[in-house]
Amino acid sequence: MLEIIAETLRITIAVALILAGMLAIVIWVRNNTRKLSTLRLFVQIVAVVLIFLGLIIGPFGQDQWEYLGTAPKDIAIGKEIFGRPYPDGLTVPTFSCYYASGRTATCVVWQLQSYLFPDFGTSSVYSTSGVERLAIATGLLILMSIIFGRFLCGWICPFGLYMDLLTRLRKALKIKHWTLSDRTNEVLRQSRYLIIATFLILSVILGMRAIAGVELVSETELGRYLEIPFCQVCPAKPLFVLVEGALGFMDVDYMLSQTIGDFALTGWYLTSINLVILGVVTVGSFKIRRLWCRICPLGGLIAIFSRFGPFKKISLIKLTKVEEKCTKCGICKRVCPPQVTEVYDDKGGDVTVSSCILCFRCVEMCPYEGCLQVEVAGKPIYKSKNWLKEEE
Amino acid sequence: MASEIEKGTKYIPEMTQSEIDDLNKSMKTSSLKVIEDNIEKMKKSWKDRPQVMEYFDEISNLFGKRQEEIKQQKATGKKVIGYSCIFAPIEMILAADAIPVRVGSGWYDSAKLGDRIMPVEVCPVIRSTVGAKMVNLSPFLELSDAIVMPLTCDGRTKLSEMLADHKPIWRMNPPRVKDDPHTLSMWKQEIMVIKEKIEKLTGNKIDRKNLKTAIEKMQQATKAFRRLQELRKGNPVINGRDAMLVNQTSLWDDIERWTQKVNELCDELEKRLEQKEYSTYPDTPRVMLTGTPMIWPDSWKVPNLIEESNPQGVVVVDEQCSGDRILYDPVGVDEWTMSDMIDAIGERYLMACTCPCFTSEHGNEDRINWIIDRIKEYKVDGVIYYVVRGCILYAMEYQRIKNVLDKMNIPVYYLDTEYTREDVGQMKTRVEAFLEMLEARMDI
Repeated sequence: MLEIIAETLRITIAVALILAGMLAIVIWVRNNTRKLSTLRLFVQIVAVVLIFLGLIIGPFGQDQWEYLGTAPKDIAIGKEIFGRPYPDGLTVPTFSCYYASGRTATCVVWQLQSYLFPDFGTSSVYSTSGVERLAIATGLLILMSIIFGRFLCGWICPFGLYMDLLTRLRKALKIKHWTLSDRTNEVLRQSRYLIIATFLILSVILGMRAIAGVELVSETELGRYLEIPFCQVCPAKPLFVLVEGALGFMDVDYMLSQTIGDFALTGWYLTSINLVILGVVTVGSFKIRRLWCRICPLGGLIAIFSRFGPFKKISLIKLTKVEEKCTKCGICKRVCPPQVTEVYDDKGGDVTVSSCILCFRCVEMCPYEGCLQVEVAGKPIYKSKNWLKEEE
Repeated sequence: MASEIEKGTKYIPEMTQSEIDDLNKSMKTSSLKVIEDNIEKMKKSWKDRPQVMEYFDEISNLFGKRQEEIKQQKATGKKVIGYSCIFAPIEMILAADAIPVRVGSGWYDSAKLGDRIMPVEVCPVIRSTVGAKMVNLSPFLELSDAIVMPLTCDGRTKLSEMLADHKPIWRMNPPRVKDDPHTLSMWKQEIMVIKEKIEKLTGNKIDRKNLKTAIEKMQQATKAFRRLQELRKGNPVINGRDAMLVNQTSLWDDIERWTQKVNELCDELEKRLEQKEYSTYPDTPRVMLTGTPMIWPDSWKVPNLIEESNPQGVVVVDEQCSGDRILYDPVGVDEWTMSDMIDAIGERYLMACTCPCFTSEHGNEDRINWIIDRIKEYKVDGVIYYVVRGCILYAMEYQRIKNVLDKMNIPVYYLDTEYTREDVGQMKTRVEAFLEMLEARMDI
C-alpha cells in the first residue's frame, strides 16, 4: 500500500518537475529581452541544484547517515572544513531545508532551533559543542545578511524559485494577479518578527523538555519534532522532501515518515500542518506574487541583520534612487513582486527596505536612465536604462 | 417642446455661411503662409538640412497630405478619434483600429475670433480652438468622429461644453492629486469608460492581442523619439525648431510611418555627429523651453526668435506637453494580461505626467525634478519660461521653479506673450538680451 502511494507520488512529482522545467525553458526563450529576469531564473535554478544535489553530484561513495535515508549525503563536510564532524553543512539563511537529504547548506532556522538546547538526540554525531554550533550558525547568519542581505531571498532561495515558477505559470496562462492592500502588506511585514520570536522562544521552552520537574516533551520521536517547532509549520519542508523523494534521492520510507508520517511514531498530525500550509501558500502564491516572502520569518531574520540599526550602514547590496530622474510613473511599484512601496514613495538615496527581496525587477523595468541602481559596497553595478533600446 | 434652457444652450453664435466661408478662406490662406514661412526660416538657419526633413515638412502642412490620407481612410469606414491633450490613451484608440489625431489649435487668427464668445482672460489655446471650430478651420477637428477631452484645466472644461455643440465629446476626469492610490484607481476607471466608448464607436473590440500590438507600436515610437532626444544632448546636430516639428508631427501622423522616418533622421544625424557636422556653432547658448504648449504653426514664433536672433541660441530640450513629453514615457507592462496592460496605460498617462494641473504633498515636484534633470543632462545654459496670457497653472508655478533654478545658478527668463504677431518686435529685444546675457556668462 505504502509502496503504491510512494510510486504515485514519485511519478506525479517527477512529471510536474519535468513540465515546470519545460515551461521555464519556453519562458526563457520567449522572454529573453528582459535579461535580468532570465539571469535571475538561471541563478535560482543553479542555486537549487547546488543546495540540494551538491553532495550527491559531488563527493561520491562517502559514508551515509542512516537516519536520513540511502543517498550519499550528510557526510561531515565539517571534517574537511573544521577538522571535526559538523554534518549540517554551511549555514545559509534560505530555505535550504535540513530534511531534504542531499543538501550542502542548511537552513539557519533549523540550526538555531536545534542548537538552542544542549542535549539534541543525535548529539553524539557532533564533536562540537552546542554553543560552538550556535556561534557558527549565528555568525554565518549575520555575515551572510550583511554581505547578501535579502538578495538571498530573491536570487538563491529554492522556495522563492518555487513561487516564481508558479508566477510564471500564471503569466503563461494569462491569469491576472491579485494585489494586497498596502495595509495588509504592512501587517504581514510586521508579523514576521512575531512569528520568528514565537518559534524561537517555543523551541527553547520545548528544548528544555521539562520545567521544574514537569515534563513538557517526552523522549520520543514526537518529542524530537516538537523541539524544532518552526519546521513543523514551514511550507518548504514537505515540498523539498517530496521533490527529493520523487527524484529518487531520498529513501521512500523516510520521505513518507516526513510527509504522511508513521502514525505510531511521529504523530502524523504534525507533518500534515506543513502540508496544509504548503497547499495554502501554493494556491496563494499562484495568485499573489511572492506571498510567502511577505511573512517569511527567515526573511525577517535576514532583514534584522541587514536593514536595521548599524547593519543598515554596512550591508553591502543596496538599491538606490536618484530623485531628480524619477517622474513617479509608478512602474517600480506595480512590477514589484512583494509589493514594496518605498521605492516609489521615498525621495531618493538608499531605498532598500526590509521587505525588499532585491530581485531588481524595478531596476529592470524603470524606463528612466540611471534612476534606480544597484550598489555593491557603494559602487553601482546595475542601473535602470531605456529598456526600449533592447527590444529589437 | 424644447425647454428654454435647451433652446439657448448653444455657445457658438450662429454665423451666416458666407461669413464662415470668408473667414475660413482667409485664415486658411494666412495659416498656409505661416507654415511656409516657418519652414522657410528653418531651412535658412540650418544650411544642409537632411533630406528626410522634407517628409516632416510635408506632414506639417495641416491642410495637405495627411488630411487627404485621413479622408481616404475614413471613407473606408475607419473612425477618427480626436484628442485635446496628452492624457488621452492613444494605445486604446490604435487598438480599436481608429486614427488618433490631436485637435489642439495653434492659430493666432482664430484666437481673435474666439474672443467673440470667450473672455480674453482665457488661455488663447482654448480661444483659438473655439475660433477654429466656428469657421471649421481645423481639418482634424472636422474629421474626427469623437473627441477625447481630459479636463485638465478650467479652460478645457468649458471648451468641452462648447465643442459638444458639434461633436460627441468624451470627457475624462484626471484627478488633481496623483500619488494617492485611490485617485489612481479612479483614473483607471476613466480609462475603462473611454475604452468602452471607443469600442462602441468603432465596433471593434479592444482585446489582449490588439492592445498589445498597439502598445508595442507606441513603444517603438517612444524608442525612436528618445533616440532623437538623445542626439540633442551633445553639440547641436539638429536645430531645436526642427526637432520640435518632428515631435509634433507625431500627434497627427501615422505613428508607424513616423517612427520609421524618425529613425531615418536619427541615422542621418548620427552620421553627421561622427563627422562633426553641426547644425550651428557648438558654443551656441543652449536654451531649454518650458511652460505652455507651443502648437504648430503660429507658436513657432518663440523658437524662431531664439534660433534666429543675434547672438543665436539653440533649443536643446523642452518641458512641454507639445514637445519632449509627448512620447518620452513608455507604457511599462509587467505581465501581458488585459488588466495589467490597462493598469500600465493608466499609470503612464497619469503618473508619468508632470503637468502643473497636478499637486501633491510636496507640490508638483515631479515637474521640478524633470527640469533639474534635463538641465543637467542637456547642459542647459538658460531656461525660457514661456507662458501665454491666461495659462494660469504654468504662470503660478513659475515662482517655485525660479527659486529652485536660482539656487542652481541657472538663469531663467519669464516670457509672457499672447496669440498675436504684434509683439514679435519687442519680444525679439527681450530674447536677444537674455541670450546675450547667457553668452556673456559662458565667456566667463
